[in-house]
Amino acid sequence: MKQPGLTFYRGAAIMVIVIFVGLQIISPSIENPPVTSEIVVPVEVKQILERACYDCHSNESKVEWFDKIAPASFLVAHDMEEARSRFNFSEWDKNPPAVQELLLWEMVNAIEQKKMPLKRYQLAHSGSKVSASELAVLKQYVNTLPGRNKVDTARIVAQTSSIRKVTTGKTPVSLNGIPYSADYKNWKIISLTDKFDGGSTRIVYGNDIMVKAIQNRRLPFPDGARIVKVVWGKQVEDAEGNVLPGNFQNAQFMVKDSKKYSATEGWGFAKFDGLALKPAGKTILFEQTCINCHRLLSPENDFVFNIPTK
Amino acid sequence: MKATISLSIISLALLTLSCDDRNTAHLAPEYLYDAGNQRVIKSIINNKRGTIAVLYGNDPALQSASGSLSKPDIGAQYTLVTWKQKPMPQWYGTHMNGEIYSIETVKVVQGNNSEPTFDYDFETGKSFKPGDRQPEKSQRVSFITGQRAAIFP
Repeated sequence: MKQPGLTFYRGAAIMVIVIFVGLQIISPSIENPPVTSEIVVPVEVKQILERACYDCHSNESKVEWFDKIAPASFLVAHDMEEARSRFNFSEWDKNPPAVQELLLWEMVNAIEQKKMPLKRYQLAHSGSKVSASELAVLKQYVNTLPGRNKVDTARIVAQTSSIRKVTTGKTPVSLNGIPYSADYKNWKIISLTDKFDGGSTRIVYGNDIMVKAIQNRRLPFPDGARIVKVVWGKQVEDAEGNVLPGNFQNAQFMVKDSKKYSATEGWGFAKFDGLALKPAGKTILFEQTCINCHRLLSPENDFVFNIPTK
Repeated sequence: MKATISLSIISLALLTLSCDDRNTAHLAPEYLYDAGNQRVIKSIINNKRGTIAVLYGNDPALQSASGSLSKPDIGAQYTLVTWKQKPMPQWYGTHMNGEIYSIETVKVVQGNNSEPTFDYDFETGKSFKPGDRQPEKSQRVSFITGQRAAIFP
């Protein structure tokens, strides 16, 4: 059999060079837009964020020479765009205070579960890893945020569903078509939570399909499974240590339909705020906010947080 | 150049690698409680005891808890299920229910001189330890029957 000649190797080498140079020409440029409102946190917290997160989650990226060379540059530009769209420390005031707090708790969780910084980023940027003692600093910090011990001291407002029907005249429907329904009151409870960020207590209900799936230890959950999480504020603790639910805050729905909601891992999300049950979200993109966090932190639970697990 | 090429190869390899973490959670159906036809009155967190509980009731109990009746109705039945709290596995910053600690039931029945009397029962759950003390009946009856219902939309 004839061996490939020198001309073949030369041709192949030229091809590789041409492709490589061509890639450099179309390579995305990595820009740093101006800093408009930088996050204000204690120095020891800021140092950790700057070192581990700022390259992607701020407008002060320190891009290395090798990050700018294609094809790596495509990956870097993609990661930075995605990261800045999630949250940007240089445009921090774009988030309302409650969202800022939630994002900080989410960061702690993403780091604790080793989902952040991204493995591929850590590989190329040694020293971006967050150590156990640094994570402890971040945890200590989020526990000082105002939502941690938030108490609902307002008079408890009651409004029956019949009053709401009279005032609004119709069933609230989420932007993605999921209607509010009070059926869940006849379902079983699948979990109860005491949430620190923002201070709330929750009862999570599952319909029969969901409960059966849990009983049969079936994951991922089948189509038709539905979950409703009812959220209240927390009243001040009494002498015996009891914390009772305060005002109703919202009801959050998750509906499993692997075809219909394939873009969000098979789950349709809806949230209805206040006793008026106002559907949350300004555009259908609100679903992305939901799934981003579920996708990052609970993939092993079929993207559901509040299920009974060992 | 070598570093760039190997970095590019590594990043491409990592990009194509997707770790599928599905089916790894161990579901714990033993934490569920079947309250039958009773419905939720409210949840109760107790951080001193490290518990989280749900008070269920039948229709008369629910009406009594929702209304302004000073005394619970005869026929009212309550179930207070208490679980031990545990940190939520995927989310630092939330506690959730773990194993069941106790199940307390109160039945409001007709007494001798038309005054209601209370049948109280305390059942231990898996996380109840042999050395733990059972609560005092009259104090628990007044706590359970005195709860106002949480506001549901």
